[in-house]
Amino acid sequence: MTTKTVPAKIEHNGAWVVAQIGIREDGMEIPAPIGVDILYKKIQDLEERKNELVVTTSGGSPIVVRIRSVEKVLAVLKRLILTSCIAYRLAAYFMSPAIRGGVLITDAQWEKGSIAVVKTGIWFVSKDHQISIPLAHVTNIELTKREIQGKNLDVVMIDYLENGSVVSSLVLCPLSTLQLLLNFLKDATKGIEMKGDELDPVSQQVAMLVYSGMDSHGIENMLNIQHKQLDSIYDRLLELDIAEVAMMRREIQLTPKGVKFISDATKSQIK
Amino acid sequence: MGKILIVDDTLFMRTLLKNILVGGGHQVVGEAGDGEEAVGKYKELKPDLVTMDVVMPKMNGIEALKAIKQLDAGARVVMCTAVGQEQMVKLAIKSGAKGYIVKPFQAPKVLEEVKNVLAAPA
Repeated sequence: MTTKTVPAKIEHNGAWVVAQIGIREDGMEIPAPIGVDILYKKIQDLEERKNELVVTTSGGSPIVVRIRSVEKVLAVLKRLILTSCIAYRLAAYFMSPAIRGGVLITDAQWEKGSIAVVKTGIWFVSKDHQISIPLAHVTNIELTKREIQGKNLDVVMIDYLENGSVVSSLVLCPLSTLQLLLNFLKDATKGIEMKGDELDPVSQQVAMLVYSGMDSHGIENMLNIQHKQLDSIYDRLLELDIAEVAMMRREIQLTPKGVKFISDATKSQIK
Repeated sequence: MGKILIVDDTLFMRTLLKNILVGGGHQVVGEAGDGEEAVGKYKELKPDLVTMDVVMPKMNGIEALKAIKQLDAGARVVMCTAVGQEQMVKLAIKSGAKGYIVKPFQAPKVLEEVKNVLAAPA
């Protein structure tokens, strides 16, 4: 089987090592110091982070390899891995992204390819694109209808967060397959589901204001609530895992030395 | 910066939008809680831009948009829709809306859309 070597960087003991990876149709050879031969069909997870791929093999002691390279090399690797790896896979048409921040993307096109669901993500794979949606970023999955070429067809819509914006991708395939896909994805992302009664109305409003970009002071003013009440609502949102601490802000008061300083400063301004 | 009329049937959403718009340097000249009130306020206040909720009692946002466009063909109306209401957006754009923003609101996106619509020719 032909092996093509490509330049890349491989992470080894916390440092990036320049290496020539051997790529075959059925696997890849990672040279020393890592020195492993990985068959694509043994890969159970593939994650993408900027110009980096994280490959995880299956088995009792899985091998995790981090690879950095140019886009072209990573695209070839992604395509080969996603075609053969351990995944829930089906042929489908997809549009990704279709909607960004609620705005329809005007030049979005349906692409013929497949959808592959691995341990940590959903991948859309076509001849030209390999698009990854980390399951941890998914905010909603639902069966909905879309007008496609004049027909109102069933599609699965996957909403996810990308750089703080909600982005939606669409999947189109026969209804029976869509239902299977929906059930599978719902199961894979069941951590995002919440019961309706987990948040009281004020806490829901706080969550919405946080999403709108308002800070604690703005929220207290708008909802006319005290700092302590807001703090306890924040605790609840953190406990439910629907928010995370972005920063800790302190409130201070001046010491006698500070009061003297600003008094003197005021006097000198008056003079 | 523009004079803006906010139309939404929930006080919370109106207050949130008002905070975002005032924070962005705009002047909120009025608020309306349904489509009928919106048309009346539009006649009275002649705002530069209207933010219009879609689902409202009495007269919905699309009907109110059409009524305002009959009064003033150059009216700048930005529709406020929920995620997943893109079909409604298509209808609104066909009916003369100049843009749309999506709930839940994100301040930078709201301000960007308002700025774009105000800058575009009427």
